[in-house]
Order: sequence, then structure tokens, then C-alpha cells
Amino acid sequence: MGWWPFGNSQSSAEPSPPTREERQKCWESRDAYFACLDGVGVVKPGTEGKACSNENRVYEKTCAQSWITYFNERRKLAFQQKDMLAQAAAQNAAAKR
Amino acid sequence: MFSVSRRALQSFRTPSRLVNASQLKCRRSCFTYLETRRGYSTQPPPSSNASARDRNAVGVFTPKSAAIFILTGAGLLFYFQNEKAKVLEQQEKERATKAYGRPAVGGPFSLTTHTGATYTEQDLLGKWSMVYFGFTNCPDICPAELDKMGLVLDAAEKEHGKIFNPVFVSVDPARDSPSRIAVYLKDFHPAFTGLVGPYQTVKAMCKAYRVYFSTPPNAKPEDDYLVDHSIFVYLMDPKGQFVEAFGQTVTIDEMLQKMRDEIAEWKSETGRTT
Repeated sequence: MGWWPFGNSQSSAEPSPPTREERQKCWESRDAYFACLDGVGVVKPGTEGKACSNENRVYEKTCAQSWITYFNERRKLAFQQKDMLAQAAAQNAAAKR
Repeated sequence: MFSVSRRALQSFRTPSRLVNASQLKCRRSCFTYLETRRGYSTQPPPSSNASARDRNAVGVFTPKSAAIFILTGAGLLFYFQNEKAKVLEQQEKERATKAYGRPAVGGPFSLTTHTGATYTEQDLLGKWSMVYFGFTNCPDICPAELDKMGLVLDAAEKEHGKIFNPVFVSVDPARDSPSRIAVYLKDFHPAFTGLVGPYQTVKAMCKAYRVYFSTPPNAKPEDDYLVDHSIFVYLMDPKGQFVEAFGQTVTIDEMLQKMRDEIAEWKSETGRTT
């Protein structure tokens, strides 16, 4: 089991960098998984139970662990930011009235 | 006659010597006292004292002195305003010249290209360089930025000719060997030069270019980690001097416009585009 979950053809000591296709595949599986989370109304990945297990399995298979951590963290931050912006907008609207 | 005169002389002499002695003594210790006393004794009559006070009150402000006062004031005002205008003009001139206020970004370095050759700051000369710092395991930002650079490069070359030099510097020396960077760059514009070197060398170059990055110094090639780093595309002129840092939000058109302006200015100064 190499550090990189795809690109198994390269078994030399030096792991090859992710290619454009591999990146694309990873992004697609991530988008599919996050779309599923949106569908069941879950923000924090990993707290959805068994709802998106198929998408999650593909996601885990096509993306490196460091990327998954990074994307998941960014998803949480994006939602936090959206909440904050919504709150600020609501406060602005209330102040105007 | 003689005896009388002698006595008279003696009687005259003795007190005079006494006076002299007291004067001598006083010259050292009683000076202020004598002065004060003299002051009291020569006090002018009250009427003349009042007139002097009047003269003091009016005397300074005669028409003549008023005229001198106003002339001096006007002269000083004119002088300082004139000097201020000169200073402002000088500052404007300094601001107009390019050398003034250029950020100290860049400097000497020596790294290895993705083909294994040595690459130094000398190799940046003679072309407009676009320098980007990143790493091959970058999830999405670096590839997006490198793609953007490729598009800018194609458009700029169409407009100005082949006077550009795109450079990718790895901030992940533990994993990014020259051969790994070579594989990685196949996905991007073929003109790219990939650079890497020992950790300390990369660190020194990043410091000179004001780039932050967070690779752990003892990272192993098989580790799975991300590198946090500054995201900038640096534009360097054909003398290797810093021109501009393009952030992630700068669009392709904005980059092209900036390059157009800079190349036009360069041409007006040197007569050439490189």
C-alpha cells in the first residue's frame, strides 16, 4: 500500500506526482460526495452515518488522505463563512428597519 | 613747613591705605553689595522713570520697526513657501523614476531544473519571467494557478513575441525531486522550467522572494502532507528585478494589461522589449 492511493503502475521508490486526470477524478468524487451530504443536510463530513457510504468510498479511493482532510476542512469553513455572512446580512437588514 | 606737610602727608596716607585695603577686600567679596548700593543712590527721579516706561511701551513699535517686522515676515513666508514648492517638486521627480520605491524582492539563488541543470538568477535575465512557488502534491490551487500562467503566457507571446520565461519553484524539496517535477510539468505549458534544491537553498530563495512556506524540514518523501505557502505569480523584468506580484484573485486580463504597460514602459526607456 503506497502513500498515494492511485497510480499503482509506479512502484519505484519515488512516488509519482498526481496527474491532471487523477486530480480531476478526485475533484469529481469529492463533488459527488459533498452533493450527497448536501442532499441529506449534513455539513461536517463523517457525521452523516451510512447515508453517503458509496460516494465516500469512491472519494476515499481517488483522493489522498491529506487532500481529503483539506477538502473536508474547507467545506466546514465555507459553511461557517456562509452562516456568518447570512447573520451579518440579517443584522444589516434589521438595523435598516 | 616740612614737618607740617609731612604730618599732613602721613595723616593723608594712613586713611588712604585703609580705604585701599577695604576697596581691595570689597572688590572680591562685597561687589554685589556695592553695586546694589550704587543702584539705589543713582535712582532717577520719578518723573523721568515714567517717561522711560512710556518709551519702552511705545518705542519698540515705531512705524519703522513695524515696517521691518512686516517685511521680514513676508520675506520668510515667501522663502518657506518657495522652499516647500521646491521640495515637493523634488519628491514628485523621485516618485516618477522607477528605481525609487521598488520592493526588495528577489536576489541571487542557485537551484536545479527539472532536467537536472543548474539554474541561477542569471538565467532570469533577458526575458520577462513569471515565477510561481508551489508543490506537486498541491490539491487544487497550484494546478489552477499554473494553468492560468499557461493561458497568460500564450496570450502574451501572441502579443509580444517569445520574450517570456515561466518558472515553477517547488517549496516541497523533501518530495519534489527534479524528475518528479518533470513528470508533473508535463500537464502544463511546455515552456515551464521547474526548480528545486536542498531545503536550506529553497528556504533562502523563498526568503529573498518574500514567500512563506511550511514544509517540515524533516519530511520524508513517502509522507502524505500538504504545504501551506504564499500564492503569488511574480513578474520580473529582463534585468531580473521585481515588477509585480499577482495574487490568486487577479484575472488573466488584468495580468496581461499590467504586462502590456510594463513592456511599453520598458520599450520607451530602452528601445527594446527585453
